[in-house]
Amino acid sequence: MTACDVIVIGGGHNGLVTAAALAQKGRAVTLLEQHDVLGGLAVGDEFHPGFVSAGPWHDASTLSPGVLSLLDLDVASSPESVFAPQRAEDGPGLLLHHDPGRAAEEIARHSEQDAHRYGDYRAFIDRIRPFLRGLLETCPPTPNSIWSLIGPGLRLRRLGRADMLEFLRVGPMCMADWLNEYFQCEMLSSTLALPALAGTRTGPWSPGNATNLLRYEALSHVGISGDAPAVIRALEDHARRQGVTIRTGTRVTGIRTVGGSVQGVTLEGGETIDATVVAASCDPKQTLLDLIGPTALAPRMSQRIRTVRASGAMAMVDLALSGPLRFACRPELDVARARLVGTLDEVERAYDATKYGQYSTEPMLEVVVPTLGNPTMAPEGCHVASIMVHFAPHDLKSGWSEEDSAAMADVVVNRLSTVVPGVRDLILSRRVRTPVDLEARYRVTGGHVHHVEQALDQMIVRPDFECGRYATPIGGLYLCGSGSHPGGGLTGLPGMLAAETVLCQL
Amino acid sequence: MPIPSPFHARTSELCTGLRWKDWSGYHAVCSYGPCHEPEYIAFRHSAGLMDVTPLHKYDVSGPDATAFLSRLMVKNIAKLKVGQITYCCWCDEDGKLLDDGTVWRLDENDYRVTAAEPSLAWFQHNAHGFTVSIEDTTSRIAAVSIQGPNAREILKQVSDADMDGLRFFWLARTRIDGRAAIITRTGYTGDLGYEVWVDSEDAVPLWDALMSAGQPYGIMPTGLDALDVCRVEAGFIMNGVDYYSANHCIIENRKSTPYEAGLGWTVNLERDPFIGQQALRLEKEQGPVRHFVGLEIDWDEFERLHARYGLPPELCSSAWRDPKPIYSTRGRQVGQATSGAWSPMLKRSLALATVDGPWHEVGQELQIECTVEYVRHRIKATVSKKPFFDPPRKRSVIGAPA
Repeated sequence: MTACDVIVIGGGHNGLVTAAALAQKGRAVTLLEQHDVLGGLAVGDEFHPGFVSAGPWHDASTLSPGVLSLLDLDVASSPESVFAPQRAEDGPGLLLHHDPGRAAEEIARHSEQDAHRYGDYRAFIDRIRPFLRGLLETCPPTPNSIWSLIGPGLRLRRLGRADMLEFLRVGPMCMADWLNEYFQCEMLSSTLALPALAGTRTGPWSPGNATNLLRYEALSHVGISGDAPAVIRALEDHARRQGVTIRTGTRVTGIRTVGGSVQGVTLEGGETIDATVVAASCDPKQTLLDLIGPTALAPRMSQRIRTVRASGAMAMVDLALSGPLRFACRPELDVARARLVGTLDEVERAYDATKYGQYSTEPMLEVVVPTLGNPTMAPEGCHVASIMVHFAPHDLKSGWSEEDSAAMADVVVNRLSTVVPGVRDLILSRRVRTPVDLEARYRVTGGHVHHVEQALDQMIVRPDFECGRYATPIGGLYLCGSGSHPGGGLTGLPGMLAAETVLCQL
Repeated sequence: MPIPSPFHARTSELCTGLRWKDWSGYHAVCSYGPCHEPEYIAFRHSAGLMDVTPLHKYDVSGPDATAFLSRLMVKNIAKLKVGQITYCCWCDEDGKLLDDGTVWRLDENDYRVTAAEPSLAWFQHNAHGFTVSIEDTTSRIAAVSIQGPNAREILKQVSDADMDGLRFFWLARTRIDGRAAIITRTGYTGDLGYEVWVDSEDAVPLWDALMSAGQPYGIMPTGLDALDVCRVEAGFIMNGVDYYSANHCIIENRKSTPYEAGLGWTVNLERDPFIGQQALRLEKEQGPVRHFVGLEIDWDEFERLHARYGLPPELCSSAWRDPKPIYSTRGRQVGQATSGAWSPMLKRSLALATVDGPWHEVGQELQIECTVEYVRHRIKATVSKKPFFDPPRKRSVIGAPA
């Protein structure tokens, strides 16, 4: 048996952020990661000899400025462009740059008016960003403290009357309605919508998810060279510099409690580590229902945590390619990130399938080619395409079988081959992972990459009002992962805010 | 629409009084004849045989069964030995009573729980994280209660189980008429008595075996009315009558805690967390505000009150359940009597009541409302020791070292 001040469970980006922040304040911190590598959902693995996939969270553009300032990273001032390909006979596709000035010409190929409106869209988001970031980068307000409500209230008023009312109008809308107010070109709307739908179980017409879009747009602000794996490497270096003891290949099987407070953790193999504080970056259901024994949690709370929605709807297909992906509509482009979308209704239909326990047979795809930024992820001249497939439910009606997985991968490759006609000849190997596989690989309940569903209700209170501000009813146990405010994605914010809470209460 | 119990073929033939009621969705006999008194006499002087199949039964098994039940119940079930039974209750998170019943340890990891109310949902709700299976065996298992001073002798005629050695709140596995049965030394009469549990298909042969073996011992089929008088004499609390399960209470005040219901003795506080522990710990420290007590209603005042109207004392022979206010001698309402009965054995008018502290001490003089000729009056009622009727034979073991 060993002992330390704080145990952090999980070496994903949030766990690393929490561990480093606590170590920086002089606590003896031990971080336990079950896998041999750090990074959680932000990193992939070798799926074919010499070929390394991207993780489900490859997009590092949302990393919070607070975390970014701690790290030594090569940063560009705006997120990288994404490409929405079309079939060559239908049009030139859309290379969408974040910056409206640079995007105007591309958008104008599809709609002159949209090129102009895109500027308005970005300008609105830029104006409300300080308010949104204020919400996202602080502990969620609580009705128990009037002071915690005053800050956000004042920041909201500071937007000015017009923007405040517009924000209050837009937030509870569905993103399709809102995007339709701006744009005629639905390919543009869908391209903007997809990253905010990614991993969630909502479609463009789901009520309230304009908030997801506003959230994503407010968070996404930089381009980071090397994307998520680079961030994880930098975070690991930073954590080690702060003196965090990192143990990989160490699986926590239980959090021990006594008299309603944590005592430490038990590891696979029976070893125990004592600590008075445990910060768990794994998902809240796993933490509170599996790691904590069934007797430590009160029945009402246990019931509420069980009813938190956390059933994933995103699958992944990784392709080992013998050459670069060339989109027929723009063969000259090196595309590191492509979104194969349709109209908003087509996106909605892809989502609809999940409601009935089916995977979409016309899925929306986000194709990431990590080898363009980091050629070492594949042998020379070869490439990797890691494809996030929207939507495929964790709870497939028939249960996921090998045949289902293979059939879904066929659907994905067929879809890709409509815009990259020669892709089949490039494929050396493919790996498909359903949400059930992602659950097993990343040990995240329901294979949900946001840990718990990111819908308006579960963003306001995340994951539950008794543990919505990182502390839990169990003394010394804190949540510090994506299942806490402000939710999933590579932000580092839940980890940072949890660490602040721990330091306040320690 | 109630359904027939597995004994219906026999009970319906015998129930010439046609006095039935709905007990947990089953047809249950109130009294077999026009009046329950002969059946009461059988319970207390020979033996009564009663169909208790409608009791809710849950079989809980699996490696975590002990931990699960210890979590659910206010009593530490881990202390129960194989073959032993305990009476206890279970609460919600706020320490408010949900139900009471018995827990039997059939084997190391096999238990049976009896309950007054459907409880499967609550049990399953709280089973998360425990490796247990919970089966509602209510309809699969038939049960009869055989209660009274001759109960042991009758069972000896039909079973080779060691009836003389079977202790109070223990069970024995046996065969009756060639069919597997469990005999538990339990009951709701506060007397020497047993309950016999068999598969539903074996219900009628069991009934026949007991009735024929019981003939020389004065066995009589008995209904709920006779039982109700016995349970008042025994001072047993009843869910839905003397307290209400928190599941059904719209207002907080209607809920009760084990301490308020006189079940504080079933609570084991100092152990691993169980549902309601924190709230119960607090209540134990502060002391309950209400208490479940026995009352004896003053017969002389009762008689005098009727005499004032030129009436003889009008006494209902069956137990009553319409609540009556209880007052302090200064006229302040301090509680309510929720059930009561005239005890033919004790020749006393008894009631079970919930009263505020400090009016709960034995010997405390109180007043109970009594309506004569549509006019409300108050007559003396004194807090008395429970159980009112507690014969040594209830717990006796024959041939055991003293």
